[in-house]
Amino acid sequence: MSAAAKSAAIGFLTAVEHHDFGICGGYLILNAAGRPLEFHCTAPVLASRALEILYGPTLRESLYEQIAPALLGKAKVAPVLVCTDLPLMVAAAPASDVPLVLVLAGGAEQRDEEQSFALGKNRAAASGGAMHPDVEDRWRHLGADQFDLLEPFVRIREALEEAQRAATSKSAA
Amino acid sequence: MDLQSLTGDDLTLPQAQIESAEFRLPPPKTVGLKIPKASIKATSYTFPEAPARGQASCLPGASSSTAVAGTRAAGRPGTTRLKPARDIVKLADRLYYLLQPPLELLLASDELHFPFAPFPYQYQGVAFLYPRYSAILADEMGLGKTMQAITAVRMLVRSGEIRSVLLICPKPLVTNWKREFGLWAPEIPLAVIEGDQTRRHWQWRQEGVPVKIANYELLMRDREVLDETLHFDLVILDEAQRIKNTGSSTHQVATAIARTRNWALTGTPIENSPDDLVGIFEFLSPGYLRPGMTPKRLAELCKDYILRRTKEMVLADMPPKLFRDAELDLTPDQRATYEIAENEGVVHLNELGDSITIQHVFELVLRLKQICNFDPLTGASSKLERLEADLEEVAASGKKAIVFSQWVKSLAVLKEKLQQFGPLEYHGQIPSKQRDPVLKQFKEDKSKHVILMSYGAGAVGLNLQFCEYVFLFDRWWNPAIEDQAINRAHRLGTAGPVTVTRMLSLATIEERINQILEHKRALFDTVIGQTAAPASLGLTHDDIFGLFNLRTPKGPIHAAA
Repeated sequence: MSAAAKSAAIGFLTAVEHHDFGICGGYLILNAAGRPLEFHCTAPVLASRALEILYGPTLRESLYEQIAPALLGKAKVAPVLVCTDLPLMVAAAPASDVPLVLVLAGGAEQRDEEQSFALGKNRAAASGGAMHPDVEDRWRHLGADQFDLLEPFVRIREALEEAQRAATSKSAA
Repeated sequence: MDLQSLTGDDLTLPQAQIESAEFRLPPPKTVGLKIPKASIKATSYTFPEAPARGQASCLPGASSSTAVAGTRAAGRPGTTRLKPARDIVKLADRLYYLLQPPLELLLASDELHFPFAPFPYQYQGVAFLYPRYSAILADEMGLGKTMQAITAVRMLVRSGEIRSVLLICPKPLVTNWKREFGLWAPEIPLAVIEGDQTRRHWQWRQEGVPVKIANYELLMRDREVLDETLHFDLVILDEAQRIKNTGSSTHQVATAIARTRNWALTGTPIENSPDDLVGIFEFLSPGYLRPGMTPKRLAELCKDYILRRTKEMVLADMPPKLFRDAELDLTPDQRATYEIAENEGVVHLNELGDSITIQHVFELVLRLKQICNFDPLTGASSKLERLEADLEEVAASGKKAIVFSQWVKSLAVLKEKLQQFGPLEYHGQIPSKQRDPVLKQFKEDKSKHVILMSYGAGAVGLNLQFCEYVFLFDRWWNPAIEDQAINRAHRLGTAGPVTVTRMLSLATIEERINQILEHKRALFDTVIGQTAAPASLGLTHDDIFGLFNLRTPKGPIHAAA
């Protein structure tokens, strides 16, 4: 692996929703070898009753719109690409020079065949059609064709659970 | 009012007086409600691999399209995840391990090449050791504790998490560890602590050598050096049952070594009583266990520290026969005798000139092979030392083993030396009438852990499927005969995989013979594409002459190997 490829980083942004605790956002930045460089997570975001009434059906979108920039703004390393597995995150993320792509789960591949494109072994959809050529270009330079872009989201979810467990046991102590 | 008494003038209606009152509601009061936003508290963690602050990652150049996370090194994709140990308390440290990629990806991305693709359970073993500061890998003998420990060490050294490792093992296993490190972590420099005191003291302090290997006996002699300023990032005890007795000096020296991480490797963490485990834990985590704890309580407390797999548990991963090559250095006594015998023998053969026959060469080969088994003067034997170490584990696990030798005389010595394992003999000098009772006793008597067999007597017509271990104390001339012998223990319907340990003395005639046989087998496999070697793959007339670069009466013979 070249020195340039080694120093490249890729971001993964997602969230988990818990009925009682609310929404926890997580943003993981990996180097090209898949090792973690940075991890940012939010404390659980739980909407109050007032917010529920006021925002109505747009509440979740609103919360994601606050979580996404809060996480992305924390990063010290600028990745060449940010991936998410949640359509809500795509809509919520602020405009940026760094492309944000929606990595499609296996079942979504067929359905979104026309709007999606191949990203290594995965299929993805870019946030805005205009971004598409740039994403592919960046991906090609990253040279990460064997990278499973869905796998890091599993890590984030486990890390968020761990952080939540730690917070719960701390508050119980 | 009475209407009938009214006059006409009175009929005038009184003028109504209207008063208007203006009603005005007070203006509504309005309150501005600011729509609150949910508060977002984000926490950040930065890991060791992150570039220095302010240094942004960059797009690789257009010509640098190198696959970053392929499976070219490890060979197969997998999902063995690292999990933090329970005793890792700090959340940042726990997240560091949780957020690592699957082990297979990690190994591939570091371009760690392996001589063979590890089995899935071995990946799990590496994933178990890697994040742990205190751990016991207690796999049954033959499952590759050595390889798993070396790979975990390799990853930790390469990631910069550790810089100094001390591996302590029984003396007969030092060569094996050295060889295995060469095989599984060839890029990591290592030093075997040995030689006179001055040399050893220098070696203990030698820098730039991440891995040092010492044996338990040396540890005792060099305890003063270890008591001083030496500190290791990781100390590994192989055959850790040796420190189970907390009162022993071995235990005291081992536990006194300054260190950050401790791992113990043993196939028998409990040999006699659960308190054996307490002794080992005094090295791992002093005071964590106490003597006399109930087995249930011990199991509960140790759960996160011990990984134990038996062959049965990983049966799906295992080949039916697992070969281990025990390549051993001769003891100094053996080496001295061997050198004299070989030099004098070759001189004698050369003096024979054209009258030399294959019988002459054969006699020298046999003599040298016997010295490889035991030094005729002192009885010293590196093979015996290794065999005893391995049989301790076999016996402690309640298992049984067959030891093959081509000489009844060697078997007789072994019988004397291996009394603690209840050895039985089965060879040509055992009367026929006694043979079946011997086999019956071996099968039924739990105190009999080993049967000593000659290749001739044990090669055919026997079924010993209840044996899980086979040791080839010396090697036969022909792999096909060895295969027959091994198959006494491994047959269809056998309970589990059989571990075959092939003993071989390095830099001796045994190694040269082995190279010829391996070369022939490889050639056969390449050409024919089969793994079973036919009987013709033994040594030929020319092979035997070539062992000593001798000229035959018909002309020069090329050197073997």
